[in-house]
Amino acid sequence: MTARVPSDPHVVEDLTALADGALPPDRRAAVEAHLAGCPACRERRAALAAALAVLAAAPRPPEPLPGFEQRFYARLAREKGARRGWLTRLAARPRRWLVPAGGLAAAAAVIAVGVLQVREDRMEMARHLDLLEDYVAIASLDAVESAEDVEVVLQLDRLEGRP
Amino acid sequence: MVSDPDAALMVAFRGGDESAFRALFEKHGRAMVAFCRRFTRDPSRAEELAQDVFLKVYRSADGYEPTARFTTFLYRIATNHCLNEVRRARRDPQPGHDPRADDGAPLDPDALPSTGASPEDEATGRALERSVERLLARLPENQRAAFVLCRFQGLSYEDIAQVLGVTVPAVKSLVHRATVAAAEALAPFAGGEGAAA
Repeated sequence: MTARVPSDPHVVEDLTALADGALPPDRRAAVEAHLAGCPACRERRAALAAALAVLAAAPRPPEPLPGFEQRFYARLAREKGARRGWLTRLAARPRRWLVPAGGLAAAAAVIAVGVLQVREDRMEMARHLDLLEDYVAIASLDAVESAEDVEVVLQLDRLEGRP
Repeated sequence: MVSDPDAALMVAFRGGDESAFRALFEKHGRAMVAFCRRFTRDPSRAEELAQDVFLKVYRSADGYEPTARFTTFLYRIATNHCLNEVRRARRDPQPGHDPRADDGAPLDPDALPSTGASPEDEATGRALERSVERLLARLPENQRAAFVLCRFQGLSYEDIAQVLGVTVPAVKSLVHRATVAAAEALAPFAGGEGAAA
């Protein structure tokens, strides 16, 4: 049980457990043997026993007001109702989320297509950079005034024998 | 499986028997109010705290395993809940309300049950209860928990050790120190000077 300072021959630390009947038999015998020859420890035991007797006689705290059980069952019912409501709401949430989630998914798809389209346009522009440069150069000379002029520019590659 | 009728009731409740839970509440509910009152020293919240404890028991049924006595399981929940409440009240004191200021006196003296005792005896009883409250207020939390569980709830040292998550020798020491303090605090009622230490 509790380790005692070896030089302390008294059994003070065991006196409460002795009164509570919580000592193992061998320790109980040792403590009682010590008490038989130690007035100081007997006095301490008597003080502890008196305190325990006073505590045993202390008035119990007041009982709860009438309706104690009913108040608890009512609260329990409210909590269970609230819990059911919470679970119901939780179960309903995925359906309610479908609308915004679907909208978000659609928007993401549009953006992705748009990004891909822009990327494709840029790739196309890069592939015909030479043609674009020709068009810009000719336009800067005010040589492009009509659709026919544009058609001429478009045919420049072929006319110049470029691949 | 522990041979404990209350644990068997809890297992029955886990299996869906609501009446088993009610039986447990009706057996331990009032003692729980007293425990919460003594532990937190807040008579105005004792019933609510006891309800909280049983709601926690209700919610924890699915995970309950009867590896120990039901009272061990119950008071472990209760001790943790009351400790949290004591610490919360210390961090966030309510304006105009200090449980220590109650000094053990009931909020409504008329709520005290009539014991049939003489007015002198009733006055002595109230003075004793106030002394016990002052004693509990002075005890460190772990001593107060061990002391209340031992002296007022009737738990064994072994059960208290399981409730508090400490060793039996530690419980023995906690209970002893608190009892020595009680001997000093209650000496006027015992007709002695409290030379237990």
